[in-house]
Amino acid sequence: MNTFEKLAQIDRRIIYLILFIVVAIPFLFKVQISMKPTSDVVEAYEFIDSIPEGSAVIISIDYDASSMPELQPMLEAILRHLFSRNIRVLLMSQWALGLPLGQEAIEQVAEEYDKKYGVDYVVLGYRPGLQAVIINMGRDLPATFDNVDYKNRPLKDMPVMEGIKNYGNIAVIIGLEAGSVGDLWAQFANSRYGVKLILGATAVVAPDLYPYKQAGQVVAILGGLRAAADYETLVKHKGAATYGMASQAFVHFLIIAFIILGNIGYLASRRKRRS
Amino acid sequence: MHLSTSIWVWIAAFFTLAIFSFLYKDNPFYRFAESVFVGSSAAFAFLNLWFFDVKPKLWDPIAKGNILYVIIPLILSILMLTRFIPKIKWLSRWAIAFTVGMGAGLGITGMIQGYLVPQLKGTFLPLWVPGNLATTVNNWLLVFGTIFTITYFYFSKPIKGKFGVAAKIGIIFIMVAFGASFGYTIMARVSLLIGRVYFLLHTWLGMV
Amino acid sequence: MKREIPLLITFIAGFLIVVALFIPHPPFNKIEETFNSWYIIVAGFTFILGIDSLILHNWEKIRRRSEGWPFALTVILSFFITLIWGIVSGVRTGHIFSTNSTFRNYFYLYIYVPLQATMFAILSFFIASAAYRAFRARTLNATLLLLTASIVMLGRVPLGNVALIPVISIAVLMLLWVLVDELKYVTSPTQRLIYIGIAVVAVVAAFPITKFLYHNLSPVTDWIMNVPQMAAKRGLFIGLALGGIAVSLRIILGIEQSYMS
Repeated sequence: MNTFEKLAQIDRRIIYLILFIVVAIPFLFKVQISMKPTSDVVEAYEFIDSIPEGSAVIISIDYDASSMPELQPMLEAILRHLFSRNIRVLLMSQWALGLPLGQEAIEQVAEEYDKKYGVDYVVLGYRPGLQAVIINMGRDLPATFDNVDYKNRPLKDMPVMEGIKNYGNIAVIIGLEAGSVGDLWAQFANSRYGVKLILGATAVVAPDLYPYKQAGQVVAILGGLRAAADYETLVKHKGAATYGMASQAFVHFLIIAFIILGNIGYLASRRKRRS
Repeated sequence: MHLSTSIWVWIAAFFTLAIFSFLYKDNPFYRFAESVFVGSSAAFAFLNLWFFDVKPKLWDPIAKGNILYVIIPLILSILMLTRFIPKIKWLSRWAIAFTVGMGAGLGITGMIQGYLVPQLKGTFLPLWVPGNLATTVNNWLLVFGTIFTITYFYFSKPIKGKFGVAAKIGIIFIMVAFGASFGYTIMARVSLLIGRVYFLLHTWLGMV
Repeated sequence: MKREIPLLITFIAGFLIVVALFIPHPPFNKIEETFNSWYIIVAGFTFILGIDSLILHNWEKIRRRSEGWPFALTVILSFFITLIWGIVSGVRTGHIFSTNSTFRNYFYLYIYVPLQATMFAILSFFIASAAYRAFRARTLNATLLLLTASIVMLGRVPLGNVALIPVISIAVLMLLWVLVDELKYVTSPTQRLIYIGIAVVAVVAAFPITKFLYHNLSPVTDWIMNVPQMAAKRGLFIGLALGGIAVSLRIILGIEQSYMS
């Protein structure tokens, strides 16, 4: 047995261990590498930066714990940007189990910026029905949520909801997507009502959203941990995404090395078979 | 190193490690954690139904005396529940039929108004942009990349002749798209692991 | 009765929703809004379908003491503990996810979140293992896929352009190895010439390509995502959209009835 054949039979658990170590090392040695933000993220940032103070935006939490590491830092960075510019935030969710994650982030960031519940932000909650929710919000936003916030408190008593009837009063919808809800926002909210849309997505989902961007249905797409790290850079507040980027880079190098090694082994064995 | 002193962080770490232990081999710790996950996920379906749907949309209006306003969805919802009673299970079809019909109707409107029209509009690009070679080239790639991809997938004709050339170019675009998606998928999976490792090293062990 | 009424309900719901798209005026827009609000209520119930069989299946396992029954017991216990904790905490504080609900602050954040997040995190190990074992450049198409994936992966991380230098060097060496190897089996002189030609081009072009990518890796990645990747995805999804419309029409017209079983 030659070296390549031995390498090909390496126990998968050794590969798992190597992967784990490569993820952990940059954290343990506090490796951080600075990056220039990608153009997509800059576009999103500049758009949000151009929204007039006091406007209202909707953030929809369309993910849950399974994609939290990618989207939670993105949410926190975007919230920092919005609150620093005194923009009102209406938080909702199309994935029921994402709501508490969104809520946790908004409570934490609101405290940093001294923002008050009901005045500067509100948590509308979750309603089943996906497209139906999106369409009805365009007609009567508070009524879709039964005129109450997630805890059944009347929306009409909250200053944050002042003047908000439908999408016409919303500067932009920011959807954070781990599945296909982003398509629905583009297809129903944008195409039907013309409301502006920014989609932050897990890296699995992001490539599929590019056609919407080219067609002008979406202002910008934020894809995965890298986009979250870029947004953290732009709002000048390092967080989980920035700390994770070194690990991300090292693992990418490792996986490409795995692919190369595997292919060298493949070529070697093909050659042996032929001769 | 500042080990967490919260019992809840230790519980979270236990469940994290229990799931990771599957990578070594299947074992009782993993199966325990998996069972907890399955059981509680099922419970969440009921909790979400009550707190996000039935309570605000049915219970509260009825309690306020507005039963007429919600009578039809109330009936449909009750019909849906007949699914759990074998004898009258067939009644649940009425409710399912409504959701399926709505899904189909909304699907058609979304696909036409929200996808086909804007996407086709986006594809009608000028194939000659004076003084801008880069945009011209990109527009060619956009327009013909889209057309050739459709050619490859959606015509049940044998791949030969002029048609075959189009389909063969189509597959180049498809491979680039799959490669990009594949690279992004690896990126996403790695990010999820980073999140868990960060939890273990930072929140639990306090090493970083 | 058992079939006709559901078919009629499906038809009415689907048909009126489509009509409302083309005639967005009264009464159709009002009908659409009302149907949507009903749908929002009824759709929630679809999430609990199938849970009875999960509970019954595990209950049977416990009753028969079949293999792994303690885990079936765990499923049932965690189902009821979650349910009861959620209801008690939710009723007491107004909602399961109230910021002062113990259910949210302990159960959800410290038990459910780590379970769900780790379940998905282990996928990274499988994908790394697959990278080593399965991702082979067997054909030209597979090679193209792997090349794009590698560029995108390097283009989206810091220092990716530095890592690109050894990657391209090794890739060129591998290509040369394959070509030299192939030459032994090729008899026709033209084919030999082509192979030698490819080898020469690869060696000559490697340096300028590496240099270009070293300085422009991020914009090149953006370009891949925004142009060729986007074009193919659009082509694919236009096809999927047409297929989706066809299926939806079949459902509304009652040709497709599999949902009735």
